[in-house]
Amino acid sequence: MAKKKKGKRVISEDQAVELLALFVSSAQLLMSEPAHYGPLRLLTATERLSAMMLERASPETRPFLELAIERIPQMHMQMSDVEAYSAGLEELNAAIGECLVRRAGLEEGASQ
Amino acid sequence: MTNDVLDAIRKRRVVREMTDEPVAQEQLEQILDAGRWAPTGGNLRQNRFVVVQDEKIKRLIYQVSPGMFQRPPVIILICTDLGVAREHQVSDESLTFPMDVGKAAQNMALAAHSLGLATGPVTSFSQTAVSRILNLPDAYVPHMFLCLGHAAPVPQFNVRAWQRITWRDLTFYDRFPSDSGGG
Repeated sequence: MAKKKKGKRVISEDQAVELLALFVSSAQLLMSEPAHYGPLRLLTATERLSAMMLERASPETRPFLELAIERIPQMHMQMSDVEAYSAGLEELNAAIGECLVRRAGLEEGASQ
Repeated sequence: MTNDVLDAIRKRRVVREMTDEPVAQEQLEQILDAGRWAPTGGNLRQNRFVVVQDEKIKRLIYQVSPGMFQRPPVIILICTDLGVAREHQVSDESLTFPMDVGKAAQNMALAAHSLGLATGPVTSFSQTAVSRILNLPDAYVPHMFLCLGHAAPVPQFNVRAWQRITWRDLTFYDRFPSDSGGG
């Protein structure tokens, strides 16, 4: 079942170019920005890509996308609170792990 | 003691989430006029304002501006026209230019606040890409976007939470003591 979804297109070329623009502009800015802005830019890209994918994503992927869209803006508020920021990263990484397991069909009944 | 100016200074906040509600042209012009009245070093008047309202252009700007969280109805780009500076033999690297941009931005932010509008500055953007998107003249250096619109009715986030401070925490009088590590 997971194999059938491999070729499914979930973002358009316009959206992909938008992400490329974000990546290269971030790379240029990060040359002079504080080191901790690196994770921030990666999370911004994650949030934007999640929003782009949401409409056409599979049920296995949607929970992660919905979490990223909801959680990452909150994490921007928590940058100075290392504990809360780390907890947000932990939550996102647990969700992406769950997403990967579901998409690979490793556990049919994996919980959300 | 307080008055309208002090009140505006104390209550203005950076706004990072805005509604789609448009900004009236008259208000926009009042805000730009406030920017025009900001002082500039040597009274060079080298600040230039580029107002972006076209949806397609705003979208392109957003794409090369990792620090832009807003989707505002109006984006004002504040530039330095180095052509003016060069006419007066002022170095392109003069520190007065970014300072003058900041002064204009603050004037505009306070003017917007006084008119019931919201602003949010953005400096994390690719100057190279923005210059191309807006087809800026070669002598224009883009320094800061001021996002302008109406604040969304949601809690606005601060990038960094600070402990509350007063002007006393920031201010020193006359000369530092000899053990301050200066000199």
